[in-house]
Amino acid sequence: MRGRDRAAAAVLLVFGLLALEEARKLRFGAVAKPGPGFFPVVLAAALTVVCAALLIVAWRARDGGGDVAGLAWWKIAATIVALFAYASVLERAGFVIATFGLLLFFFKVLEGQRWLPALAGSLATAFVTYVVFKVWLNVQLPAGPWSG
Amino acid sequence: MDVLHGLGYGLGVTLQPANLLACFVGVFVGTLIGVLPGVGPTATMSLLLPITFTMSPTASIIMMAGIYYGAMYGGSTTSVLVNIPGEAASVVTCIDGHQMARQGRAGPALGISAIASFIAGTFSVVCIMLLAPPLTSVALRFGPPEIFGLLLLGFTMVTYLTAGSKLKAVAMALLGMLLGTIGLDPISASPRFTYGSVTLGDGLGLVPIIMGLFGISEVLLNIGAGVKQDVFETRIKGLLPSRDDWRRSSAPLARGTVLGFLLGILPGMGAIIPTFMSYALEKRLAREPDRFGKGAIEGVAGPEAANNAATGGSMIPLLTLGFAPNVAMAVLLGAFLIHGVQPGPLLIKEHPEIFWGVIASMYVGNAMLLVLNLPLIGLWVQVLRVPYGILFPLILLFCLIGVYSEHGNVWDIIVMLAFGAIGLLMKRFGFDPAPLVLAFVLGRMTEESIRQSLLMSGGSFAILLTRPIALAFIVAALLVALLPLLLPPVKRLLRTVPPDDTT
Repeated sequence: MRGRDRAAAAVLLVFGLLALEEARKLRFGAVAKPGPGFFPVVLAAALTVVCAALLIVAWRARDGGGDVAGLAWWKIAATIVALFAYASVLERAGFVIATFGLLLFFFKVLEGQRWLPALAGSLATAFVTYVVFKVWLNVQLPAGPWSG
Repeated sequence: MDVLHGLGYGLGVTLQPANLLACFVGVFVGTLIGVLPGVGPTATMSLLLPITFTMSPTASIIMMAGIYYGAMYGGSTTSVLVNIPGEAASVVTCIDGHQMARQGRAGPALGISAIASFIAGTFSVVCIMLLAPPLTSVALRFGPPEIFGLLLLGFTMVTYLTAGSKLKAVAMALLGMLLGTIGLDPISASPRFTYGSVTLGDGLGLVPIIMGLFGISEVLLNIGAGVKQDVFETRIKGLLPSRDDWRRSSAPLARGTVLGFLLGILPGMGAIIPTFMSYALEKRLAREPDRFGKGAIEGVAGPEAANNAATGGSMIPLLTLGFAPNVAMAVLLGAFLIHGVQPGPLLIKEHPEIFWGVIASMYVGNAMLLVLNLPLIGLWVQVLRVPYGILFPLILLFCLIGVYSEHGNVWDIIVMLAFGAIGLLMKRFGFDPAPLVLAFVLGRMTEESIRQSLLMSGGSFAILLTRPIALAFIVAALLVALLPLLLPPVKRLLRTVPPDDTT
């Protein structure tokens, strides 16, 4: 846990310093008449101080062991990549096609279902959600190449 | 408008077909996601926010509130039958509720939790109704220094009540507020941290951040951990508790209700801490404390009442002060703002239909929930049997649709996914996302109140100490900060409470 805490504190500290540097470029104004930069500078400075304290605490802490249970990181990474891919093709391919692809990936690759249920399930879900959200609930969704 | 007149007016509003439907959809969806582990009220409320754009403000708020208190009912079902809390506030219910199920008493366990929820929910609605108008008249006299003092007190409580490292909670709150400054400065309207981007000019959206931190990250964690549900196979019979059950649980139920409501009003409490306190209290008061953990019905009745009463209590700061005491209320605040309504002391005068309509809808909603959760319990048990491999793609899909449809912009999906990944890391590294989200929502109010205070006083921070109400808030904040040092039992109690990821 100690290594994790140090790493997390260090990353946040770097973020705090960067934010402070960027916030200083905004007009600070005076305490009697605070400008747009006043609040961000105060926040970023406070964040930097708190993260420095976190880093010191993590550095001095003894290793308590007790690591948390391992995760199947490949599954998580694959899911995130698939979701980003979905976001990048959504407007070009349209909701139904993009959603069909995403669901097929989940059902087939991640969950290892057989082809027929995976295909049927993905297709049906993509269509039904499109009809429910777009047609019934009037929620905006990209129609893609079929839009007239 | 006096209370009874107000309530009658509110009932009239609630019974309009559109609002009644909104109430039903809210409590139904609330129960559903309460039953499903891994999706909680906060993520669901933000998910459904885009759908409410086409509805009236009253119907939207009625629906959102219904999801929140509905989830508290549904969560206990999963706790009893699967020994996994359906949502975080039902953790304690697992202890004795699941033991009851193992002893073939799943029926009374579910029955008492629904009945306790109903009684506590109704009690808290009555209290809101009686307390909100006088509080409102006090709050009307608040100026920027008082508001700043109140926010300071709220944030102190939120960070000090977090389980785990207080420093981490403070860091998250500061980070959240900093993220909230992206976009146009609320006073001078000059852009901050936008780097010339028009999209960033509007700031980061609340919906994508909440869905990322509470929805996506939870699903990712479950995918990685390989969740398996193990529904306890039992025939549920005899939902009504026996006379002996009643004798044992009526006093815990009453104590849990009052305790939960009072704690629920306080910022940062959420619905979890009251359940733990109620459980601890009942165990201490019990004549046979050994029965706890082995299927004691008192251990279900008290905490279940506490979490529902706390849910009601947490509506008070929002309706009277415009302050969100927890993340779910922050989303509700977001729903108000999207419809151009500012909750707070003026709400009761400017939008009586929303104020009284929402309160009355909670009576109606509680009655609907009793029907949904007792006779229809079988339906929810079936929902529990849906394997996670089918469930998680659907949850992700709803998140994608919900977040995209708010502005019809892929950028929001990207923000949501980024915060999903960040949220996963935060959970792994022991950072609680709740202070971040609360600070993100309340950051603007904080900034305005401090800058206006300084403008009023010509740059002197003494203005915060010379006005009595503001001073009282700041003294209270200091006391809260010092309390765990002064009272070791408080500290010990807080350490036993798990993180409040009311997802």
